[in-house]
Amino acid sequence: MSTESPLVVLPGESIDPSLIPTHHKNPLRLGPGLRHIPPSEIVPTVAGQLVVDNRKTSMWIEYNGGRYIPSQNDLIIGQIVRSATDFYYVSLSPYTPNATLPHLAFESATKKTRPQLSPGELVYARVSLANKHMDPELECVSPSTGKADGLGPLKDGMVFDVSLGFARRLLMAKSREEGKVEVLEALGEDGLGFEIAVGRNGKVWVNSESTKTVVLVGRALRETDEKNLGVEAQRKLVKKLVREMR
Amino acid sequence: MPREAEPSANEKAFLLKALQDEQIRLDGREFDAYRPLELTFGDEYGVANVSLGKTKILAKASAEVTVPFADRPLDGIFTIATELSPMTAPHFEVNRPTETEVLLSRLLEKTVRRSGALDTESLCLVAGQKCWSVRVDVHVLSHDGNLTDAACFAVVAALRHFRKPDTSMENGVLTVYTPAEREPVPLGWLHSPFCVTWSFFGDEGETALLDADWMEEQVRVASVTISLNRHGEICQIAKLGGVPVEAVALLQCTSVALTKVKEFSTYLDSKLAEDAKRRDKGGFMAELRAENDRVVG
Repeated sequence: MSTESPLVVLPGESIDPSLIPTHHKNPLRLGPGLRHIPPSEIVPTVAGQLVVDNRKTSMWIEYNGGRYIPSQNDLIIGQIVRSATDFYYVSLSPYTPNATLPHLAFESATKKTRPQLSPGELVYARVSLANKHMDPELECVSPSTGKADGLGPLKDGMVFDVSLGFARRLLMAKSREEGKVEVLEALGEDGLGFEIAVGRNGKVWVNSESTKTVVLVGRALRETDEKNLGVEAQRKLVKKLVREMR
Repeated sequence: MPREAEPSANEKAFLLKALQDEQIRLDGREFDAYRPLELTFGDEYGVANVSLGKTKILAKASAEVTVPFADRPLDGIFTIATELSPMTAPHFEVNRPTETEVLLSRLLEKTVRRSGALDTESLCLVAGQKCWSVRVDVHVLSHDGNLTDAACFAVVAALRHFRKPDTSMENGVLTVYTPAEREPVPLGWLHSPFCVTWSFFGDEGETALLDADWMEEQVRVASVTISLNRHGEICQIAKLGGVPVEAVALLQCTSVALTKVKEFSTYLDSKLAEDAKRRDKGGFMAELRAENDRVVG
């Protein structure tokens, strides 16, 4: 990833050709927010920070906001809308077309042992197919190993809405170093025990033995997101919330 | 027709559990606490911008000279226009009033218009021929529950802030003065009613909350809107369906509502005073100035 100062682009702006990564073998890969207009023009479609990764010959735009657009291998939290003959309709975000989740896309599911989900229940799933102009498809099982890997129906708990950028930061492998999110570690250090699942579609599911803990985690996450708190401020916020609750 | 986004079963169950077993709300408020209420006035007279947490409402009052209704020759005209556009939430459509919208405009009508808050007789200019028509437009900019209380506060604030052009009647000639000629005059205002909405949760509505946000509104089993002014005069009580609520609980709700209305009233008064101070450029030194104000444009 480039270490220079962040470059902010606007939709339709032309991108300096010297920034575009080249490689003798690997093709250039475009991420969210960029569009290729043949033969050789690359145009941003959203406003945000242009990120160039020379090692992977890829570039994309980092932006926070807008509605979730599914892309393959994203982990999402969906809400069952209804069941059809052999799949569930799942809502990923309000007012958008539903995704489909086959009845058999669960760990060791057969026609007889598949999970029976009713409308309104939640699932943690992976986007298995996402094409433009098509409804996305989901799965709750790894197609290669046949294991759930933590995916599947979510029981109890509470879902909190966060911004898409914050959900992405939470999901980063090094969320503390790169994403500057320390709120979860801080909560854990204060002796709170909870389970968490982050959906790329801006939803965070939190569960715990104690209702108060869930509320506290939710408030800490939301406030961190809304006020765009830094690492120090996140620690302070957690301290304050924990003191209030006790 | 797009459907409104419903909370999931987990969210509904958790919210109820938190309210009933632990007595906590998701945003950490007390049961009888409002979200932070903020009011700002525009540069023009009669523009009030109210935000109650994430609910944002803009109310604009305006006046024009028209012919009074034939059956009420001595009264002016006063209307409140409420429209929920797709900007509010995607499930609201233009020109297709939803239940929420009808109930909102009906409640505002009952609270502000029918309680005689605005003296419509003072809007009459020439009996049977000319009168002021005062209109308040309510725009909901963002919907996070409790539209009624926020909208009512915005309407009252806009009307209290509004100034209509000064008029005079000489030898049967009616003159309407521009702001440059004569300072506009405030409306004839009699009392300030405010709405306070209680939401009830649980099988028998045993948990009562003030100022429910959108999520809580979707889970509640009943709601009561009480409109009253700071003297404790109740203008209306609306309980539109839902589970029955104990009479004693309702009495308690009303007494808490009165303290909230007193807070609203004090807050509005202080904001109006602050705005008047901001607009008042002069004082004594201004009166002593020799130069004239230049009329721009």
